[in-house]
This record gives sequence, C-alpha cells and structure tokens, in this order.
Amino acid sequence: MVVNENSVETRHDAIELVLARLLRLGSLVAAALLAVGLAAMVAGLSVIAPKLITAGLLVLLGTPILRVVTAAVIFIRERDWYFAFFCAVVLVALATGIVLGRVG
Amino acid sequence: MVTTFIEIFLLGIGAGIMGSMLGLGGGIIIVPALTLLFGMSMRTAVAASTVSIIATSTGAAVAYLRDRLTNTRVAIWLEMGTAMGALGGALIAGVINQRVLYILFGVLLGYSTYNMFKARKQELPTGIVPDALSQKLRLAGSYYDKALGHRVDYQVTRTVPGLIIMIFSGAAAGLLGIGAGIFKVPAMDQVMGMPFKASTATSNFMIGVTAASGAVVYFARGDVQPLVAGPIVLGVLLGAIIGAKLMVRLRANLIRLCFIPLIAYTAVTMIYRGVKWW
Repeated sequence: MVVNENSVETRHDAIELVLARLLRLGSLVAAALLAVGLAAMVAGLSVIAPKLITAGLLVLLGTPILRVVTAAVIFIRERDWYFAFFCAVVLVALATGIVLGRVG
Repeated sequence: MVTTFIEIFLLGIGAGIMGSMLGLGGGIIIVPALTLLFGMSMRTAVAASTVSIIATSTGAAVAYLRDRLTNTRVAIWLEMGTAMGALGGALIAGVINQRVLYILFGVLLGYSTYNMFKARKQELPTGIVPDALSQKLRLAGSYYDKALGHRVDYQVTRTVPGLIIMIFSGAAAGLLGIGAGIFKVPAMDQVMGMPFKASTATSNFMIGVTAASGAVVYFARGDVQPLVAGPIVLGVLLGAIIGAKLMVRLRANLIRLCFIPLIAYTAVTMIYRGVKWW
C-alpha cells in the first residue's frame, strides 16, 4: 500500500510514517480495550467492564495529543524550527483550553 | 442490552465511513441519532460524538498518511489557528451574541456551498501559484491518486487567509460546539487551492486534535458514558478504516458531490437557528 517509489523527498516521508505507526498503535490498543470491555459487559462482569471501556477511550483521547508531541520532537530533531514552534503553540493552546475547561 | 450495543455499533460504523471520507467529525449524524433514536440526553450525545471525532480521525489517518494524502505541514500550520481560535472562542463566549454568529457562519457556509457547486466538475485544481509564505514553509505536496492512476503534485496558496479562517472555525467550534471539519475542507479546497482529496484527508487528520481538548473537558465533567461511547467509538474506528480505504480509490468529484448536501444542510440549519425568534 505504501507508494515509496513516488516520493520525491525521503526526509519528508519519515514524519508521515512515524505518525502513521503511532496512530495505528493508539487505535489498535483502544479498539482492543473497547472490544474486551464490551464483551465483559455482555458476559455480565459489570464492575470491570466500564473501567476497561473507559481505559480504551482514554487511550484514544491521548493519541492525537501524543501525535502533536511526537511531531514536535521530529521537527526539533530535523532543526525545522518554524514547525517545532507551531507544534508548541498548538500544545500550549490545548493545555490552556483543558485547564480553563476544568475551571469553568 | 446486546441489541442496543449492536445498534449503536452499527450507527458508529456508518458515521465513521461518512466522516472519514468527507473529513468531517460525524457529529452531524451521531448527535441527532443518539438523542432522537435512542432518547439520550444532549450532554451524553455530544460527549460521545466528541470522542467519536477522535476515533474517525485516528482510524482513517493511518491510511491517509501512508498514501500521503494528508499534508502534515499544512495540518500543523492550520492546527495553530484552530487551537487558538477554540481558546479565543471559549474566552469571549459570554460577551458575544450567538444568533449573530449562527447567521454569520451560516452565510459563510452557504457561500462555500455555492463555490463547491460551481467547482463540482473540477477533479484537480489548476494554475495554483504558491505565495511566498507557502514556499518558505514548504507546504507543497504530492500524492499518488489511486482513482486517477497517476501522481498529483500540488501547490498551496493564500497561506495566511487559510490560517485566519481556521481561527474563526476554531472559535465557531468553541462557541457553538459545531463544525469540526465543515469549515476546514472548504478553507483548504477553495481558499488555499489544495486538491479536494488532500483537503478532506488533511481535515480528517486535524479534527482529532481539536476534539481531544474538548473530550478531556467532557471526561472531567463525567459526561462520557462508557456504555454509550464504547460501542459507538468501536464502530466509528472500524468505519473510519473502511471509509479511508474506499476514499483513496474514489474520484474527487464523487466525494465532493457527497459533501455538497451536508454543507448546504449545515448552512441552512445554522441560519435557521440564528433567525428563529420563537
């Protein structure tokens, strides 16, 4: 499925593949926890099941945030300072939003 | 209980397929379905829908990143706008008249609908001249289009207007709780001159981050109900993977044709909410 032969910039490709791997890992772990949790619920284990499902949802929730952090690290390594700064702006805005949301 | 799980799961698959193909969150389907068909409260529905947006984004992005349809540089540039706009929107929420906003954004979407309808036969944009900032930030992209069977190289223009629209779209999401992707796709497709498929894939990539900050708040408030969000998110993840596989093989015109009724519908609903006085 990967169309490597068509890419001009190999440096540019690295970030996409790293992020794809990260997002796949996040969605697989989340899906597994959700599936086991729902199966447990159907089996009548109503104490542990909601906890497993919540864990799956939290993994899913953390994945995009981790994605921005990972992108920032890649840009810093590549000394792409503009984009490292853009990622930092996104993270600061997200963190502020979360803190304000909790307060309000 | 099992039948309800299966029904919600199926709803999730449908929303996931649609959302991932069009670069939208799918809240336009999930919120009315959960409240009207399943009789859930608005809070529960909106919280479940917000977590589903992350699932749509994460599930589909894997395929779009590998096919290089996602323009990560454009995404990160524009994410700055949505994140700051969402924050700004939350801060000024008390002092602004919601009706005016609904009408304003509704008219904006109406105008986008018209432009999108005009461009309905255009498969790829032509003659886009990149602006200085776009060249400096190296925003140009290329991907292999599986529907056309050749590589598509494209340029990006109007970099700053694109960012400004994202600030407003972020503010709209923060103030009105709507429009995860519906503003992003036209901003990239019509303003920045990107190919339609690259626009929806990049929008899909971006919506996860915006939704994550909202979802944290819903979690903290206890609005996310595991037994509702669990089955729907599992369905959406599966649907998003299917949708992404389908989308890369479809022609841009066909995807745009599915987008037009949704954006028109959203425009009408927003104007309606703005003008109704009863």
